[in-house]
Amino acid sequence: MGRVAATILGIVVAIGLSAIVFIGINKLFDLAEKRFAIFNAAIGGAASLVIFGLLWGNRLIVSPLLVTLIATVVGVAVGLGLGLVRHKWARLGIGLAGGLTLGLLAGSALRSVVWPSIEPLAALLGLAAGAAVAAISWQVARRETALVPLLSFWLATGWLFGGWLAADFDGSKAEVLLASAIFGLLAGIWVGTVPYPSGETRGGIAAGSRKYIFLAPALLFITATLVVPLARTIWLGFLTGTPRNLAWAGLTNYRDIFTDPGILDLSEWTLIFSSRLFWAAVILAVIAIGLGVWLGRSGGSGLGTGFSLNAGTVMLIGSAVVLFGFAVFSFIRGTIPNNLWWIFAVTIFSMATGLAIAVLADRAKGENVAKSLIFLPMAISFVGASIIWRFMYVARPPQNDQTGVINTLWVQIGVWSQSETASATISAILGLIVVGLGYLAWRGWQAGNNAVLSGSVVLAIPLVWIMYRFLGPGIGGVAPSPVTGEPIADPILFLTQSPWNNWWMMVVFIWIQTGFAMIIFSAAIKSVPEDLLEAARIDGATESQTFWRITVPQIGPTIGVVATTLIVTVLKVFDIPKVMTNGNFDTQVLANEMWQRAFTELNFGLGSALAVVIFLGVLPIIFLNIRRMQRERLR
Amino acid sequence: MTATTTAGRRPLGPRIYGFLRSIPTWVLWVLVVLWTIPTFGLLVNSLRTRDAQRTSGWWLAWQDGANGFDFPTLQNYEAVLGAEATGGLANGLLNSASIAIVATIIPIAIAAFAAYAFAWIDFRGREWLFIGTIALLAVPTQVSLIPLLQAYSSGVRMTIPIIEKTVTIIPDMGLAGTIPAVWLTHTGFALPFAIFLLHNYIAGLPKDLFESARIDGADHFKIFWKLVVPLSIPVLAAFAIFQFLWTWNDYLIALTMIGGNRVALPATVVVASLAGEFGLREHLLTAGAFVITVVPLVVFFALQRFFVRGITAGSVKG
Repeated sequence: MGRVAATILGIVVAIGLSAIVFIGINKLFDLAEKRFAIFNAAIGGAASLVIFGLLWGNRLIVSPLLVTLIATVVGVAVGLGLGLVRHKWARLGIGLAGGLTLGLLAGSALRSVVWPSIEPLAALLGLAAGAAVAAISWQVARRETALVPLLSFWLATGWLFGGWLAADFDGSKAEVLLASAIFGLLAGIWVGTVPYPSGETRGGIAAGSRKYIFLAPALLFITATLVVPLARTIWLGFLTGTPRNLAWAGLTNYRDIFTDPGILDLSEWTLIFSSRLFWAAVILAVIAIGLGVWLGRSGGSGLGTGFSLNAGTVMLIGSAVVLFGFAVFSFIRGTIPNNLWWIFAVTIFSMATGLAIAVLADRAKGENVAKSLIFLPMAISFVGASIIWRFMYVARPPQNDQTGVINTLWVQIGVWSQSETASATISAILGLIVVGLGYLAWRGWQAGNNAVLSGSVVLAIPLVWIMYRFLGPGIGGVAPSPVTGEPIADPILFLTQSPWNNWWMMVVFIWIQTGFAMIIFSAAIKSVPEDLLEAARIDGATESQTFWRITVPQIGPTIGVVATTLIVTVLKVFDIPKVMTNGNFDTQVLANEMWQRAFTELNFGLGSALAVVIFLGVLPIIFLNIRRMQRERLR
Repeated sequence: MTATTTAGRRPLGPRIYGFLRSIPTWVLWVLVVLWTIPTFGLLVNSLRTRDAQRTSGWWLAWQDGANGFDFPTLQNYEAVLGAEATGGLANGLLNSASIAIVATIIPIAIAAFAAYAFAWIDFRGREWLFIGTIALLAVPTQVSLIPLLQAYSSGVRMTIPIIEKTVTIIPDMGLAGTIPAVWLTHTGFALPFAIFLLHNYIAGLPKDLFESARIDGADHFKIFWKLVVPLSIPVLAAFAIFQFLWTWNDYLIALTMIGGNRVALPATVVVASLAGEFGLREHLLTAGAFVITVVPLVVFFALQRFFVRGITAGSVKG
């Protein structure tokens, strides 16, 4: 129970502290107009606290708690004084006294590691640079601001750099006291010569500060966790060595990445043209073009080019593209092609299935229940999903019963394919369905409905192929035993057989992301104006024509959004390969490669370079998003 | 007999036509079943004993009793939640809750203020600052991991050019391996999306509302508390649910930032390391996976409406 209590306490403290600080700052700036002294005292104290806190954090002062406390009190006093007193010379006196006190306090507390041996030349250079900056900014401000505070501020800064930080740190106690006293005095002149703000200025502070206060936490977090680390990662990508000892290496890391055959291996690309997938893709593409052109001519309902775009031809072209991609990616191997394969397959399949389900579910009975169940995997963690699918993919040795759903079915199909009666029965059923589809195609042709005609033809193709496999060479997870020659179970080793194990992991991702695509497409489809659809129907368009001519163009922008979102998500896929194979068996992806290089081998240089490669992958999409946003905000 | 009577009532043609018309619905429900089987199978298997899981598929669970196995049984859950078996999934759940709750509340608060400023406070460069912030949506987490871990483990130092002196900006606070490191990381990564989502909503609130409040003398802080927050509850809830699931389900950030500190690991990392063993305790994985899935599923079913809104509105999350 102790841990529960500690956890709750941690949560409450973290949130409470953040809230107090934030609301406190808001309330504080509310005081700027009416109670300027209190506001100014708080600002003075905070400024001292920050400066001495930085020194403390750098372990540069002795008895830090006491010194910081005193400095904060002095800061409060100076702030309060300047917040109350309006007389010009009195203000300067307060500023000088406060600056000198704080300077001497710092000078006496600083450790000897920062005692400077002041070099007059560097000091003069620093002061001159400060004066120059002051002069330039005074000119830029059209000489409307007060010169003295501006000048003293920049002189103090110039002294800090030229007189102190540029010097070697082997000086005497007297020199550190002198250096800090001069800095304190110059800073004191600055705060002491700033005129007492008028009521209008104070109101301006109270109102004008609000945007900074509201934005500061967000911008601070974003800068600290995204912007600066991004810059640093790009920088680290050019370095090499151990984390504590990094040296400049130029583009070595990038050369290593692109010459490593584990990351990019093009050596087998010629085999693409001898793969069955490639030729299947070519055949499907030829059928698609033939069917599309023929229907486009005879039906007269083409896109003006004589090509009929309908469910059948789209399915054919889609299958051809997918088969072609799979042919390419099963021979071009390595981490980067794996990532591209992920992007290709997950984007196409998630979007196609998501769109199909969105269309099927639209106005169907039980639409909401169906959509919830499809969407449900979105709520499951990638780790959970990986484990869920590991049990789907279990492959047990041939002598055992299979316990995974897919291998059980696969082996059962193999058993049926071995038995004459079973394969005859299945082929007969499939044959009946094909005949039915043929009848449908004929009816579609007679009615001039291209969608029904080509859709039926396309659906018949895989069925005919399965019939052929059953009657001819056999199908399913049964193979002759290498020892006895008897047919035994031959389960698919989903996670270890390269290159297709990559695809089986993509299935998990598709299983998750289909729900995402579906929910977005469903919202888009429902927002297509009803009168447009109505008008099309009155003009005699079929359901299929309305879908391809009206709905699809209307949801075009949504398709783009879903595609880019999916690409960004898939590009950094990590959890699934990490949990399912940890990148073994040729399933490495960039994010996991990066993680292993950086955090198990501690090669920060190479890890950063890999992270930059991932970043370069999303860069075009970032630009697309910016452009889209600019367009939307112009409207 | 019944077949002929039905046939008598309706001629063959319309019956075939009606059947064909219902095919899309059938396809839909087949897909729904396919999509549900994996999760359902895991649930069933998690209630079976180790030996039962290894001898037959989950769809044969109804025979477990006849084969001498207990079904349903909670022994996997007892084992996986017990500390000695797994390095403490119970402890991991506690850590997950701690991470997810804080990493949801802090970004909401910060992002709501920023979104309000972007929407209703006029200042120079607002447009570009906003677009720049939102552009970071798609930046992958990976580019920040190494520098952030360095910062958490040994602070932030900067070498000033020309004078070649190194200054510590953030001292080493020993954050590496702790839950606050995960809070900070999640907060930063969540902000662009949170600002985007909340801004879309807050910018759409009616303008008259703000003008009349301004005339009544309310300042920005008051307008924010009294007007914007109450009106934005739906979108705040949408983001909260999205972010809660995101952080609860996160694996990468927790694994990187907490690493070897076993007592602070969240449940996802504990279960994933159990999965990495490929060994004797594989049967516990079912229960482990279901345990880390239960919380998101409950949140999902209870608050689906808000979650869907979050997803739909923010379909550009990086």
